[in-house]
Amino acid sequence: MEKIVEGSTRAFLTGNETIAWASLVAGAEFMFGYPITPQNEIMHYWTRLAPKYGRGFLQTEDEISAGFTVCGAVQGGKKAFTATAGPGNVLMQEPFGMAEAMRLPMVAIIQQRGGPSSGTVIYSQQEVNLTTFGGNGEGYRIVYSTASHQELYDYTIKAFNTAWTYRFPTFILGDGYQAKMREPLELYDPQEKGITLAESFPLVGLPGVIGENRQPQHLNNIYSLEEELYEKVMTFSAVFEKISPEIVEYEEDSCEGADIILISHGVVSRAARDAMLILRSQGIKAGYFRPVTLRPFPDEALKKVILQSNAKKALIAESSYGQLTRLIKQSIYGETINIDTLYKPGVGIVDYDIINKVKSIL
Amino acid sequence: MLLTRIALAGEGGQGVQSVAEIIAEAAFNEGKQTIYIPNFGIEQRGGVSIAFIQVSDTRIGAPKFDKADVIVALSDRSIARTAVFSDNNTLFVYDSASQVNQEDFPKEARKIIGIPAIETANDELHPRVFNIIIMGAVLGLSKVVSFTAAKDALVYKLGHKFANDADLKELNFKALEIGRQLGEKALQKEGEVNA
Repeated sequence: MEKIVEGSTRAFLTGNETIAWASLVAGAEFMFGYPITPQNEIMHYWTRLAPKYGRGFLQTEDEISAGFTVCGAVQGGKKAFTATAGPGNVLMQEPFGMAEAMRLPMVAIIQQRGGPSSGTVIYSQQEVNLTTFGGNGEGYRIVYSTASHQELYDYTIKAFNTAWTYRFPTFILGDGYQAKMREPLELYDPQEKGITLAESFPLVGLPGVIGENRQPQHLNNIYSLEEELYEKVMTFSAVFEKISPEIVEYEEDSCEGADIILISHGVVSRAARDAMLILRSQGIKAGYFRPVTLRPFPDEALKKVILQSNAKKALIAESSYGQLTRLIKQSIYGETINIDTLYKPGVGIVDYDIINKVKSIL
Repeated sequence: MLLTRIALAGEGGQGVQSVAEIIAEAAFNEGKQTIYIPNFGIEQRGGVSIAFIQVSDTRIGAPKFDKADVIVALSDRSIARTAVFSDNNTLFVYDSASQVNQEDFPKEARKIIGIPAIETANDELHPRVFNIIIMGAVLGLSKVVSFTAAKDALVYKLGHKFANDADLKELNFKALEIGRQLGEKALQKEGEVNA
């Protein structure tokens, strides 16, 4: 593959530009998309960059077809992706469901905006439910929630690798702030950093003759018999549970001996970490925990952190009304830690908000 | 340098986002940590446009902030709109030609300063460099980036326009310098030395 980034370059980009560059260096071959704010510039930059490097782009008639064309392209062995937000994310759940049913290694970037419905075009963390568990039936997917442009770059590269290594649809969950803001990051060639890019492979049109020297490839998203579906779902869940420990990621800081653990994800975790440091400097023993993968969720890690910290309280901060809390509660079922919450649906959270809340409950 | 937080606000078309982008680019070129985020709601189709800039030597947390160190409000409406970002540490700058109700000004500010940016642009330079005067004023008030870095970033951003028009480049540099002087003068009136 042609070198796109030589060595390592410091750059000052928007998050959407960052994702276009990351997809390029990750070896993405095709993007299918339909415009929606705040992800539009991923498409714009991709269409500018793609022709220079022999990659492709198709704007489809809507999000449903954007998702399904990705499903088709990955079956043909192409590293393909899409990006969307808000109501577009709702429409794409149908193709995402197909990707779950057929275990298609598709990658989707979600830049969360406010909802319900058209909501705002700006920012939220309100697409957690939809992105982690938005499919009908019980399918399996991997969701990385990023917090900085460096992470957008690192995890977009990783998303293609995860998808093509484990064959589950993989998501980058960003938001409007990450999409639109500019901040410095380091662009690099993944292979120079020792990151092996997973090979893509066709899932259909395989060599050989069915019945003579190979079995048919059944990529089903519909079954005639309920028992067939049952078998599939049970197999997928067993596979997903087995690989989850390899995929799960989180950040933890200063939880040991903490009186209160601040839990957040995505861009809010930046404010939470600052809040933790400021509280510590004021003599309040705060700890910090952040799931990076929202699915699979770092259940064991969080339970262990709570147990070892001896903290009596946790504060969950999110730019939504309880979507992260739901994931946490189901994850730490049985723990007796008290949970307080700071919900600011559709608006940003700064360190000051978290510090004030902590002081009001401690 | 500690974290500096700047909010620029104006009407769509006044060029606050361009100015913010140039300042942030200059900070980046100086090796600083910086975040620039526009507000990009539907108000950009007719309403107050706000740019949020943060510059620091160390990692920056949340992309937006609740209180700014410097606020520059370029239109009547943007004064009321940005007053909420002001507290006792904030330099609140507005154009002295604005028609403002007294109650629209922030209740808390380190200082509220009117500068004649529109008047200077119209009388001494050219209306099109109004936003560059403002950019200069931000530099004069906050020293958030060096004057050289700001000039370089300006050339980088507008180089394609300067290429065909040498006078335009001079006009922009002059506007930047005049803006800086306006900013510095406003601070001196306060009897403060810049950090």
